[in-house]
Amino acid sequence: MFKLFIADLKMLLRNKQALFWSLFFPLIFTFVFGSFFAKGDGGNGTLSIVNKSNTEIAKNFETSLKDTGIFKVQNDDSFDKAKELMDKDKVSVVVYIPERFGSLEPNSPKKIKIYYVPTNRQSESIVESFSDKYLTTVNMQIQKALPIFSVEKEEGNKPKFNYFDFILIGLIGMALMNSSIQGVAIAMSKYKEDKILKRMTTTPVKSWQFIGAEVFSRLVLNVVQVTLILVIGTYAYDAHINGSIFLVYVLSLIGAILFQSIGFVIASFAKTTDAAEGMSTAITVPMMFLAGVFFPIESLPKWLSSVVQYLPLAPLLRNLRGVALEKNSIFENPNNMGLVLVWIVIMLLIAAKRFRLSEE
Amino acid sequence: MNNVIAVKNLVKKYKDLKAVNNISFEVVKGEIFGLLGENGAGKTTTLEMIEGLRKPTSGTIKVLGLATKKEMDKIKEKIGVQLQSSAYYNYLSLKEILELFGEFYGKDVDALKLLEMVGLISKANSYVGKLSGGQKQRFSIIASLVNDPEIVFLDEPTTGLDPLARRNLWELIAKIKEQGKTIILTTHYLEEAEVLCDRVAIMEKGRILKIGETHKLIESSKDPYKISFYAPKIDRNTIKELENMGNLSNLGGKTNHFEMRLKSQSLLNSAISIIHKFSPESLTVGRSTLEDLFIELTGKRIEE
Repeated sequence: MFKLFIADLKMLLRNKQALFWSLFFPLIFTFVFGSFFAKGDGGNGTLSIVNKSNTEIAKNFETSLKDTGIFKVQNDDSFDKAKELMDKDKVSVVVYIPERFGSLEPNSPKKIKIYYVPTNRQSESIVESFSDKYLTTVNMQIQKALPIFSVEKEEGNKPKFNYFDFILIGLIGMALMNSSIQGVAIAMSKYKEDKILKRMTTTPVKSWQFIGAEVFSRLVLNVVQVTLILVIGTYAYDAHINGSIFLVYVLSLIGAILFQSIGFVIASFAKTTDAAEGMSTAITVPMMFLAGVFFPIESLPKWLSSVVQYLPLAPLLRNLRGVALEKNSIFENPNNMGLVLVWIVIMLLIAAKRFRLSEE
Repeated sequence: MNNVIAVKNLVKKYKDLKAVNNISFEVVKGEIFGLLGENGAGKTTTLEMIEGLRKPTSGTIKVLGLATKKEMDKIKEKIGVQLQSSAYYNYLSLKEILELFGEFYGKDVDALKLLEMVGLISKANSYVGKLSGGQKQRFSIIASLVNDPEIVFLDEPTTGLDPLARRNLWELIAKIKEQGKTIILTTHYLEEAEVLCDRVAIMEKGRILKIGETHKLIESSKDPYKISFYAPKIDRNTIKELENMGNLSNLGGKTNHFEMRLKSQSLLNSAISIIHKFSPESLTVGRSTLEDLFIELTGKRIEE
């Protein structure tokens, strides 16, 4: 029933208010969280280097520090000026290289000074360990000693992701959930109240055609939704989607189908549109906070997390994050996929039993 | 066969309530057939069982020779349904709705022609929400014509409309009949049934009290003649005398404003000559109406 699908799509796009909630509301969240939590690579702040020495060792040290890429490094003329900048929170650590440092004369200074405030302890320790290691190497070279023990590094194969990446996937889940549950529940109840469903049954249109057109038109909207969140998240706030974008869409649409069937179940119970609105809010809001949109379920108290991990949104988000952030396959943890499918089956069974286009 | 609808021993029970209690009737091709009665008399339930929207508890319904129980899909292609106070999609224009509904039947609809028929051509690109009550109702009726149906079902088509809009709809319904379509409608406006319907069935509490050609039903009334008059000078004795001749009732409001219903032409004549002696300020003679018959059958008026 292609024409009905097109008509449904038109109606979705013309209903400006509903469109706002499904498309722009999640984007507002993306902007807010993006502005607060998104950080570029190496988010350890700015380091000020005050280099008073012109020895080879001092110069090399400065260059190496700049080359690490861990910090944004700026040069300042005097130690006092750098300290001032730190008081104004412009730099997090100051590295001071005294005059004649690195020359091998006996009375030349032998120490580099690292200045920091306790709140920047983390940045300081990075600078400290870098400097320590660099100077140890220099010391050994000068004494012509060879290291006996050393460290072998191997980068983990699990890609890195940060809190904003975590949230971005949560927001995709939230957007899918809100627009599908509320959208379907409210639209269907309104259709029921206005007797549009009943009017449909007087025509040769089959229920499955009517519902199919409704479901597919909403899936198109879901694709737009997910795309907008991903585009803004990645381009405006540097989010990392490490895994397959295609699988992210596949999982999103499976999730959308689950939430739409919940919407149909609500519509089958609600006697009025207002009731449907209330019921869907009562279901989506707790799920938004408990099923892991904004923080990991594991951070909830044990008794709570052991229950909420089974909420429909929870396994979907686990799977989505696994695929998008950790490059897992959809079936990495089959329980997640299984749980989503079980929910879909349960909801479809209830909907099939209870949702009627017209009363008997 | 001339019957397009045949209903036999139809029953619809809701728990203990018999909404429709063993009714049978036929609808003849090309006529306007009316189901009359108060709210809750079972009119809509009956209509919706014929339309296939509700399942009968027992009894059979045939539409165009097809049983609703088994061949509803075929029936749906040939009927057009307007539901009581139903709405249409909010975000499609009138033209788009008509074309979409036509699509349901696999037909290319000339939406503009249908809209022209009810004077809504200027609203072709508007949403339903922008229409007045009467316009919505007219739209709802043409939306039931998209598949060029043989039978059109209209459930309370004029309820809630002002008198002018109601008359507009009567003209529309007459126009549809002229196209050779059979119309079955429900109404609780007896005047409407009297004007529109070739035949009516009067329903109460799920039963049909009386069914037949509208004018014959009215004639079958016990007191088919009616006089109403206003005679300020009339005296008590004369009132007594008139009460013995027929059914006299004070209309209330003005004193000495009466309505009288009589069995025969001769009684009518003598009553008129008696009333004349008191030089009435107004006097109308007529026949009784469907409403009079309804009151006679049920002992009450239909309340709005």
